[in-house]
Formats: sequence, structure tokens, C-alpha cells
Amino acid sequence: MTDMGETAQSDEDLQMLRDSVRTLLERAGGLDRARGARGAAEGWNAGVMQELAEAGVLGVSASETAGGLGMGLPAAGVIAEEVGRVVAPEPVVATVGLVVSLLEQLCPDDALLSQVISGEKSVALAWQERNSAGLSDTINCRFDGTGVTGAKAWVVGFASADVLLVLAESDAGKVLLRLDAKATGVNPQPQRQSDGNALHEITFTGAPASVLAEGGDVSGAMALAAADATALAASELLGVSNTALALTLEYIRTREQFGKPIGSFQVIQHRAVNMQIAQEIAEAGVREALGLMGAETSLDARERLASRAKARACTAANLITREAIRLHGAVGFTDEYDVGLFLNRALVLSAWLGDAAAHRRRWLDATLSSEAAQ
Amino acid sequence: MTDYNLMSDDDFRRDVRQFFEAEYPEELRNISHRPKFAEVEDWHKVLHAKGWVAPAWPSEFGGMGLGAAKLLIFYEEQQRWGVTRGRDMGVLMVGPLIIKFGTDTQKEYWLPRILSCETIWCQGYSEPGAGSDLASLRTTAIVDGDDFVINGQKIWTTMAHDADHIFMLVRTDPDAPKKQQGISFVLAKMDQPGIEVRTIVTLSGEEEFCEVFFDNARAPVANLVGEMNNGWSMAKALLSFERIFIGSPNMAQNALMQLKTLADGRGAFNDPAFRDRYAEVALDVEDHAALYTRFADQMKRGETLGSDVSMLKIWVSETFQKITELMIEVAGPDGGALGPLQLGNVGIDVLSNFYKSRPTTIYGGSNEIQRNILSKAVLNLPG
Repeated sequence: MTDMGETAQSDEDLQMLRDSVRTLLERAGGLDRARGARGAAEGWNAGVMQELAEAGVLGVSASETAGGLGMGLPAAGVIAEEVGRVVAPEPVVATVGLVVSLLEQLCPDDALLSQVISGEKSVALAWQERNSAGLSDTINCRFDGTGVTGAKAWVVGFASADVLLVLAESDAGKVLLRLDAKATGVNPQPQRQSDGNALHEITFTGAPASVLAEGGDVSGAMALAAADATALAASELLGVSNTALALTLEYIRTREQFGKPIGSFQVIQHRAVNMQIAQEIAEAGVREALGLMGAETSLDARERLASRAKARACTAANLITREAIRLHGAVGFTDEYDVGLFLNRALVLSAWLGDAAAHRRRWLDATLSSEAAQ
Repeated sequence: MTDYNLMSDDDFRRDVRQFFEAEYPEELRNISHRPKFAEVEDWHKVLHAKGWVAPAWPSEFGGMGLGAAKLLIFYEEQQRWGVTRGRDMGVLMVGPLIIKFGTDTQKEYWLPRILSCETIWCQGYSEPGAGSDLASLRTTAIVDGDDFVINGQKIWTTMAHDADHIFMLVRTDPDAPKKQQGISFVLAKMDQPGIEVRTIVTLSGEEEFCEVFFDNARAPVANLVGEMNNGWSMAKALLSFERIFIGSPNMAQNALMQLKTLADGRGAFNDPAFRDRYAEVALDVEDHAALYTRFADQMKRGETLGSDVSMLKIWVSETFQKITELMIEVAGPDGGALGPLQLGNVGIDVLSNFYKSRPTTIYGGSNEIQRNILSKAVLNLPG
């Protein structure tokens, strides 16, 4: 992914990748796993994560020298879509978008990169911090040369992590630190999410850490990784809304009232068509944005495209999953029906890394300032 | 005869662009009304001399013979430079039907006259009782010797007051078991005692639409195109290119640029509420263009487009309307003012855009009819 200007993959290659990931996730248990994973301490299945790693999924966009497939961001997007389709609980997007992207940019020679890609080590990134308004735009975690002190929030994939990456401030400026996830001074607090997974708030009290990278590159690399992860979260949302729509169409074709399938009523049909159009526009827009990001070398342009993708995917997924509940009627509001899994996953993915309104704001700020610069 | 399809897409686009930029009259760029023929006659002569009146027709009939890819490029460049479609009903609607279904005699007689605009055409489809439900049309054409005798009424006939010929769908068999059967495609002269035209003034104050009344009007039976009672399926066969053309992002893109100019001039970008809504419509336009590209690529590969292409028209027309509604909000106390709002040396005509956007959800198959079609043909929902 950091290999900017990578070669575009052919449609056939992407389709083969899609088919193989779909098969793997179906064999692993498909949608049933999403229900089973809810509330479990581990959060996801280490065996499935290992299978995904062996299939090359975690290194899909990393360079071949790092043990990756070098297929670029659109290929990673295809995988994220498939993860979304079955609400797979594994932190694929966080691993590919944040962890692998950061490591490849900042310390490509460190063994940790290939260990993540091969599935040997499970790594989580603690990056964002909380303040009274919500997301802080400064980093207050402090590294004193041996240990880190401060607090991080919204950490994805901590429960099963072996290694924790932490972004902190030091005398040398921003540093990317490596910690043992079980080290003393690492105090995690799970925040249960609507999809049954947990994001962790972690307090550090002088937790022992080593430096993976420091200096001027760290902030830029973090921004680029965040843009990649944002775009991939948009792809995952496409998968979520895709299945929610399919389940809903199936339901309204078969559910009968007044002696007819409810999908024969025009008011239902028009709402279903609106969902379909939202999905098609989102697929076209998000995939185009990821393709353009793959060919784009400037950070500003990549961030703007990521915002376009996330704004669109959140808008579509929220519309579709909410309409899905509505068109299922009362059973849509029960825990028993699968359609609710998609609403709950869309809520989490929408909030993570910025929702539609936040990304519209960022996209417009970036668009107007790039136009003004020309 | 140039075979444009042998050129690369880029070369072709460059040639088309250069031609429009060099030859198209400045005063006709981006005109918002449909011109009368007299207004565009000189431009038509230039096009005709170049052999570019009918981009989609085969070259043996005097067209450019463009394949799908080149055709889209041609229209994209036409829209980019704000080139009026002029009086293209004959070229777009009648010519292709005659080429596909007409006799050799009809081709020899009509096609050169359509190209030269010796005949100017209007389309007689809709009737007072047959709008969305077009197959319910009731205007009759009964054979009397060598002529059809035509009685009834057409409405929303665009530019009928500036046309000398009409192509129309008429009922030739009132007893057919299904309403789609018994309809034929007939050509008639406008200048005759049995035809009366009244213009309809629209909300925007323009006179583009007409009512056309037929009281024992006549047309030779030789003017029947295709088989008798087979007009409905012929008219439907014409729609495949129309369906992507009508969903092109151009109108919304153009309105968005004007909204931007207006908002800059009025300082609206200082208002966070406006910024969010602007971003929303701007992204609606951008992502629509991505979907349009997907369909256009499909067409360029020679694939037939399915019914799902009408999603483009639904989305772009509704987005166009949202944009023009935002323009009115930005105009504030000038939101009811006719004519251009002056912003420095640029004029933005808010209400002209607003009025132009209103019929887009009605024409070409209303958006509700399109949703009905999508729900059956694409979503497979029960009838």
C-alpha cells in the first residue's frame, strides 16, 4: 500500500481474489460466526485469522519483499468487502490498513512486518486519544526513553493481540513504540460495541516500550495509514450493506400480508429501489476512489479520496441497514433475525475513523483548498 | 469517407473538441432554451457540410457511423462545450427507425431530408390520457384508400410549432386484445387543414411544448414505417441509447458549477450548514459520475445495457433538483427573481436552473415509473 503508484490489478485477478476469500470465510462458518463472536472475550477466531494470513490476505497490499502480494489498495478493498458481507469479526481492515501500512512505511526491515503478514504475530495499534469533546487532535501519551505513560482509546483488536504499537510524543518528536500487549503498566478497559466486539481504552503507567521509528516521518506515515484504513472501512461497509440489502429483498419477496408478498406493494418496491440505487452508487464511488488512491502519490489527494469513500459508504450503509430493519417489520427489531447484525456492524464501522458528516467536512475542506491553490 | 472508429479515442476526442471550439457560435453556447430552427440554421449548415449531423447513423446513410465508445465521446464533447442539440428529433428518433424498419424507398426519400433539415420533426407520443401509461394512447389512424385519416390529440409535443413534420404513435387497430398491440408508427405533414397546433406556456414562461389536434388529418399509407400494428415494440427498441444519455452527469455537473460560483459570490461557504449540504450534493454528483462511467464502459465493450441503467436517470435528476433548490436558498431574498443574478462580471440565472430541473423527474419515463421497472426487472420483486 505504501508502494504508491502500484500496478493496477486486472478485473479477473480481483474476481479470483474475491472468490477465494469468500470461499474461505463461508467455509469458516459465514454469518453464523458473527452471531457467535458477540460478547466473547477473544472477540474473534485465531484459527480463521491464521487461515486468512496464509491466504495472503493480511499482506495483500504490502510489497512482495515484505512477504506481501503487492496487489495494491483496490485488492485490499475487495477483501474488506468480503469481510463485511459476512460481518466477519476478525480485524482485517485494522491489520491491513493501519498496522501493515505503518510498519511497511516506517520499519520495513523489522521482522515484525513479516510476522504480522504471516499471521505469526497479532498486532494492534493504539493511536487515537480521547478528550472531553471526543477525539483529541493532539497526542499526549509520553515516552521517556524507557516507558510510556498516558491513555489511548478506540483500539481495535486488542483482546487477541500479542504486540501493541503505540503512537507517542518524546523528546525526539513523534515515536512509534512497540510494547508487549501483556506487559505491566498496560491497563486495558474494554468498551463493548453494538456489534458485540470490544474497542479498548488503554491506560499506560510507565509501560516498558521500545522504539520502532521516530522523527519527522512518523506523523506522515500515520496519516497515510489512517487514509488507507478509512478507505478500507468504506469497502467493508459496502459488503455489510450488500448483504443487508440481499436479505431484505429476499424477505419482501416471500413475506405475505393481505394475501400477497409485501414486495408486490409499490411503496415497498420504491423503498427497495432506493436502497439498490444507494448500494450501486456506493460501490461505483468507493471502488473508483480506491482505484484513484492506488495511483495517487500525494497524501492530501489520498486523504481526500478516502474521505469521499467513507462519506459515501457510511451514507449508503446507514440508509440500507436502517431501511432493512424497517422493511422486515417487527421481526427486524428482534435479536433472532440476522438483519440486525448488519445494522449493528454498520453503526460501529460508521463511527470508526469518522462518519459521513465528518468526512464530508474533510472532503470539502480539502477540495476547496486544492481548487483555491490551482 | 472517414472511418472514425479506426481513430484512437483520444485522437477522436481531440478532433471533435477542436471542431466545436473553432466552429460553434459563441452566442449559442450553453443556451438554456430549445432553439427554433431559424436560430441554429447557420450552425446546422456547418455541421451538415462537415457530415456530422447524425453521429449514430451508419455512414452509408450519411451518418458518422460511430460505435458506442465514439458516440459517447461525441456527446460528452458536445455537452462540455455547451453545444445545443438543436432540432435533432429527426436525427435521433425518426432516422434510426426508418433505417431499422423502413423500406428502401422511405430511406431514399426521408433520410437526406432529415440530414439537411429540409424536414423539421416533432414527436407525437404523449396524449392527455396517455402519459406514463403511454400504451393507452387513443389517437386513431384509419385507412381510407391510400391515406390514413387521423383523429385525436397529442400533448407535450416539443417544438411542434416550429416543425413541418410529425412522427407519431397512433392506434390503427382499436380492437386489438392488448393495448400495446394495434399501435403503428406514422409520419405526417404538419401543414394541412386537419392539424391545429397550440403552444403551452410553461412555468418558466417558455413555449417549448405544444398540443396538436387532429381532425380528419391525412397521411399517405406509404408513410407507415415498419409493420402495421407493430409500432410499440419499434418505439421501445429505440430506447437503449436514450436510457444512458438521459442519465449522463452533465446537467447536474453544470448546475453544481453554477452553485459554486453563486455560493462563492454570496459568501455561503462561511455557513457550516451550507457547506455540509454542498458537500453532500457535490459527492452525489461525483459518485454518480463513477456509476455512469461503469455503464459507459460496459457499452464501449459492446455489451447491451440492462434495465438497471435507469438508476442513473433517477439519481441525476433528483440530484439536479437538490442543487437548484440550494441555489435558491443561497440567493436568499433574490430567490424569486427572474433573470441572472450579477456576481462581479458573471451572471447566474437561479430560477432558469430551477425550472429546468423540474421536468427531469417527469420526462423520459417519470422516476416513479422507472422505479416500478427497476423493482420488477432488476430486483425481481413480485408484480
